[in-house]
Amino acid sequence: MSAAEKSRVNSFVLLRAGDRRFALPASVVAELAPPLQLHTFPHTSPLVAGVIVRRGRILPVYDAVPAPSRGNISAQRFFLIARCEFGAASELSAIPVDGEGELATGEIELPPAGLPKYVVGTLAIGGESLEVLDLGALIALQSAGPQEHGPREVQR
Amino acid sequence: MKFAVQDAAKLRRGSRPESVILFSVAHQMFAIAADSVQEIRSADSVSGAAHEIDRPEMSKVRHTIERNHRTYYVVNAGAHFGLPTTRPTLVLILRQLRAAVLVDRIERMTEISAVHPLSRAFTGQERRWYRGLAYLDDRVIPVVQPSGFLTADEFRRLDGAAKAAASQREMEGAVQA
Repeated sequence: MSAAEKSRVNSFVLLRAGDRRFALPASVVAELAPPLQLHTFPHTSPLVAGVIVRRGRILPVYDAVPAPSRGNISAQRFFLIARCEFGAASELSAIPVDGEGELATGEIELPPAGLPKYVVGTLAIGGESLEVLDLGALIALQSAGPQEHGPREVQR
Repeated sequence: MKFAVQDAAKLRRGSRPESVILFSVAHQMFAIAADSVQEIRSADSVSGAAHEIDRPEMSKVRHTIERNHRTYYVVNAGAHFGLPTTRPTLVLILRQLRAAVLVDRIERMTEISAVHPLSRAFTGQERRWYRGLAYLDDRVIPVVQPSGFLTADEFRRLDGAAKAAASQREMEGAVQA
């Protein structure tokens, strides 16, 4: 593996949502978009807060950060646009985040026991240990929950 | 605004325009293909000819109306989409389905340049409700799927209830005579 390839593999985007800081592998991140209008309409999909229009595409916005940590979406100013896997297909999706994020390079370490499956590892940055999230796994896990409890509530 | 203008231009590119009717329910705007609507009437004008239908588990349909010797099931769009209760004023009578839809108001008729498929992120009933999304005047508007208002199974159950209600009315008429 070349130095450039290794750096790509070990690159992470560090983000904040509410009071939580976390990391995503840079390879899944397309861009950090500026404040955009969140469009909403009735639907029953858990976690989907609405859609944004970015670069000619209508992208779903996930309210994916666990509830106790997140702030109000309208107060979160940026949208992280990342590639999410849906089976064999993948699509760009957005999650609201605070601030502009940072790019960092580091070695991912195995997550401590007991963390949810969507935490694929931890990253030690400046004395802080950040969870590295698998966005697709987080969405799949949280989306699966409410289906077991009868009809889903309509979101707007 | 620069982003919106650029986005609108990109979303328009390479697509064929389609005439739609924009309607609203509980302050939420929707679009429906104009050619899927046969007639728009005020709710008051059809209420005299409406019959009640009793399907407690399907609260979105409370009435039937007769048009051109066909029975149409009247779907309350607010109840269908799970929106707050409103007082609908108009009925959209659909063209190729035995369904009519109660809505609050018609905004206007316009053309949309494209219907964008729903993202795979949407996994709920909206996959049946909508054909996709339209981007119009810096707004994203769901384009409804006319056949999504009532499923084949719902039609079957309503047909049973309507038949029972008609028999009941005939019996009551015979008793009064």
